[in-house]
Amino acid sequence: MKTKRLAAKTLPYWLIAPAIVLIALFKLYPIMNTLWGSMNVDGGLSAAHFQALFRDKYFWESFWVTVKFNVILTPLQIFLSLLLALLVNANVPGIGVFRTIYYLPATMSTAVAAIIWSTMLNPNNGVINSLLSFFGIDRQPFLTSDKQALFCIMAITTWIGVGYWMMFILAGLKGVDAEVYSAAKIDGAGWLQTTLKITVPMIRRTLAFVLISDTTINLLMFAPMQIITAGGPRRSTNVLMYEAYKSYFVYADKGRGDAIVSVLLVMIALVVFLQYILVNGRDDRPARKKRTGGNAP
Amino acid sequence: MKANKRGTYALIYLALAANVVLTLFPLIYAIASSLRSDTEIFQYAMPFSWRTFIPVEVTFDAYRSIFGEYAFWRPILNTFIVSGAAIFFGCLVNAVAAYSFACYEFRGKKVLYLIVLFSFMIPFESITIPLYSVVDQFGWVNSFAGIIIPSIADGMVLFLFTQFFSEFPKSLFEAARMDGASWAQQFFRILLPLSLPVFVTAGLMIFMTHWNSYLWPLLIARSPDIRTIQVALSDFRGAHTTEWARLYAASTISAVLPLLFFFPFQKQFVQGITSTGIKG
Repeated sequence: MKTKRLAAKTLPYWLIAPAIVLIALFKLYPIMNTLWGSMNVDGGLSAAHFQALFRDKYFWESFWVTVKFNVILTPLQIFLSLLLALLVNANVPGIGVFRTIYYLPATMSTAVAAIIWSTMLNPNNGVINSLLSFFGIDRQPFLTSDKQALFCIMAITTWIGVGYWMMFILAGLKGVDAEVYSAAKIDGAGWLQTTLKITVPMIRRTLAFVLISDTTINLLMFAPMQIITAGGPRRSTNVLMYEAYKSYFVYADKGRGDAIVSVLLVMIALVVFLQYILVNGRDDRPARKKRTGGNAP
Repeated sequence: MKANKRGTYALIYLALAANVVLTLFPLIYAIASSLRSDTEIFQYAMPFSWRTFIPVEVTFDAYRSIFGEYAFWRPILNTFIVSGAAIFFGCLVNAVAAYSFACYEFRGKKVLYLIVLFSFMIPFESITIPLYSVVDQFGWVNSFAGIIIPSIADGMVLFLFTQFFSEFPKSLFEAARMDGASWAQQFFRILLPLSLPVFVTAGLMIFMTHWNSYLWPLLIARSPDIRTIQVALSDFRGAHTTEWARLYAASTISAVLPLLFFFPFQKQFVQGITSTGIKG
């Protein structure tokens, strides 16, 4: 009897043990190594890497590019994927085909999508400029202009990401009881009203997941910049993660790379913490109570 | 009433179709390019005409070449092996842990969960070097295990499962526990059938991670017989020359193949799976 009670008490730990052990081994131990590297000069504890970094004007330039990129991109992606998810949530014939098509960009690797888009956006013989001139619009420099390049990359990553995040939101929408909608309809609520007042609060946890994951992924994203613009022109697309990547693999300056990654980790942790509190809520929210209440037999 | 409904349908289809154009435009361009010869590839981009999208002389040389001399089917098969194993173990390990986080109270839960959340904020490029030495110590360099095992526990997948499992009313499990159901019975008989859409999205997430991953397989699985698709793809993108038609052909395949799996699975997103389950 006693062993049984003990087993019941330790059960939750056994269930999480495999995941926690694997995370500790393959994620935490290596990142501790990186964090230690940022604070370590010739075997001793030192803030030298950070001091050098904070005096570096390229670091600050890169920091602001990162902020600009993320402040615009993440809300844009979330808004569009929510819109798209609501659209493909409609029960019309053939909707599966549309869902599949919309998911298509997500099945492309970032490298492949980046290559296709950069050839299409080529200012001289790219298909986008040729389409623009077909409609009588002037040719644009796109990725070769320091004013447009970052926005072009935002457009490309939005094209890749929206269908992907759409699927998660759709999975959340499928958890909302259809009866809630019919009840709202009977009450005479319009589509917009139903969406804002009922649907969005009900899928709050899903949206929290999408927001936090998208924020993290975008803050760490650098593959399109690496492949298409190499951070240029004039460092206008030189995000922090790309700067870190260059420190590791181009300049062979591990200390600087580690320091940039540490700064990035603090940034992400702060943003995610705020999002978690604001969107996910601390405990049971009214929406959930409403839902379980509505489902009571 | 009926006319109104028809109007709504028309609006929905209009919106759907408009977005299809936006989504498919680059893809059709890539497919068209894959059917051209290397010399024709940039010839018709400007000025804009039907030739921009339809190859003048259709050639399947690029496809024949990548499956012939480049044996592209091998990295595709390898990637399916890797992602198949990763989906199975990834869903199991992360969903079971998420079930524990969502449905049990225990000491240290918050701290442990914070560690999970923190683990997916780590940029992979920053840990490749220490991770390599860990995997090397296990003797998994140049093996499927070296690609699969480090990826199984995934903070983001765990987070996804936990977010969904927390939505279930606690009473659902309490009743089962009263009846003496073990955790495995609760997990497989109650939770799993009610959460199919989440398992599908999580499975897709894991699949796409492996289908798109490049840096890690490049480091850990170099020999040709275990190489994965993105590493093989990069062969066509050399330092000085790019074999455009082959690159586009391989890219087209790498983009279209996952859809064969996606299409049947998206049927799991049927309205009300979860809600009818809870009621029953």
